[in-house]
Amino acid sequence: MAVLRPYLYTGGVHKHGLLIELLEDLGGYVIQKVVTGTEVNLIMLVPEKDIEIVKKQSDDLLGIIIEAPLTGVEIAVVSPTLASHHLPHSACDVAEYLRHPGANTNMIGLARGMGRRVSLSMDYERKLINEHDIAVFTFGSFSDCIINKKPKLFEGIEIPIVVTGGPDLKTEEVPGADLYVGNIGRTSHRLRKTEEVSALDKLNEEVGKIADGIRKQQAKDPLAVLPARVMKEIENQVPEIHKVLSPAPLTLQLDGLRVKLPYDEFHEKIEKLEFDEGVILSELANISRSKMKNYILIKIKSKSDVGFAI
Amino acid sequence: MDSLETFVVESAIASEQEFYRKIIEDNLLSLKLAPAIGRIRVVLRPEDSLFQMVIILRDIGTKVTTIDIADVEAKPVAGEIIISIKKEQYIPELLGKLWERYGKANVSQPDRWTVAITTDKPEEEAAFIKEMMVADPRHRLHENLVDFAIRVTPEGFRVRYHLYKGNNFVFVASEEALKHEWIEEAGTMLEELIEGGKK
Repeated sequence: MAVLRPYLYTGGVHKHGLLIELLEDLGGYVIQKVVTGTEVNLIMLVPEKDIEIVKKQSDDLLGIIIEAPLTGVEIAVVSPTLASHHLPHSACDVAEYLRHPGANTNMIGLARGMGRRVSLSMDYERKLINEHDIAVFTFGSFSDCIINKKPKLFEGIEIPIVVTGGPDLKTEEVPGADLYVGNIGRTSHRLRKTEEVSALDKLNEEVGKIADGIRKQQAKDPLAVLPARVMKEIENQVPEIHKVLSPAPLTLQLDGLRVKLPYDEFHEKIEKLEFDEGVILSELANISRSKMKNYILIKIKSKSDVGFAI
Repeated sequence: MDSLETFVVESAIASEQEFYRKIIEDNLLSLKLAPAIGRIRVVLRPEDSLFQMVIILRDIGTKVTTIDIADVEAKPVAGEIIISIKKEQYIPELLGKLWERYGKANVSQPDRWTVAITTDKPEEEAAFIKEMMVADPRHRLHENLVDFAIRVTPEGFRVRYHLYKGNNFVFVASEEALKHEWIEEAGTMLEELIEGGKK
């Protein structure tokens, strides 16, 4: 199976179709295409051995191509509540910054996450968070809270946990966290000072490392089918997806994807999705109702589960 | 008293103190409260889930009546009162009061600087409008102050005590039931602040 690398192309709308065609010829995938005015952003997966060809095409079009390590990763940015204490700064700034390297982020405000003794998360919320690849918890400015009180919100979270907060702590000091990034505490202003932006840069870099770690783990027992390939087949076989107005109607995850179509109406169609090899999707993946808005959640089984990979 | 002549934030850990000071500054800015506040002192004790804040306000402007912001002229023949606006910032409040008294149908705005009112008794009503209170900056300040207190308090601290008396504002918030001595402590903080504020 070809190794695919994530890249982000930014350039003019003029002739950008050439790049998409080239990518299709090479066996790569366009994950997301965002057209803003005369500019286009393409998030894509490029076969590793053909990267030079794509770079050359991009240079011909006078575009910029950069690596986007968080492509195909869906991140939950969890804030204790959706009150003005946490939003729009700093939780939104964190979510927005994580999108730069290609991630899809969802903001989740817990119903009762605020406070020290009284903070708690609901079963529904934990399940929703667990649908993502990585969870980023945005906490406040007090080290006592972050170390002693808030980690109870991590109970039942099975995905890697990243914590942001004000004080300068070590990851080991925060029980249950896989990564702690300081200097992003509670603020009432936009994060744009040097130290704040460099903290956000550090967050992106470290989250990228976590995503790489998951990918490496996956490589030992690869998925039965690439999520990007499922995405392409859905685009071809379920035309209704083109009428969905939500951003990223098909959201890639490291081990599956979220289809933003109503479950009851479309799950059979998705289950019966056919591949050229003659298998259907329900043989390769678990298809369930997503906790998010009745969408469809596809979690792809691993090769060892299915017995083969396509 | 100068604005913000005393601005103290106290917490056990110095770096957290700085973070919190910044949050308070930002909120003062966004609510445009800085000119109204003379002295402010905030004490944070996260380990006890306690937030205490005392504020001494500066003397602020008196009540605004219509005559302060506009010329009022009665037109007995036409059965009208014409109000020519001089200070635009109070128009929303003025219109609100006029609508309440005369009904929207009888209040019109031929242009930006003019409000016309149709009435049977123009002269008497004009005399009333001249003395009518349009806005009370104190009231607006109080609203902002409460908003400010809620915004700067850590979110989980939902048990609150507040006292607003004259120019003094005392605010105590916690997650637990408030202890009597916490409120007394805040009272002592206020006294110290009135004496000139230690530090």
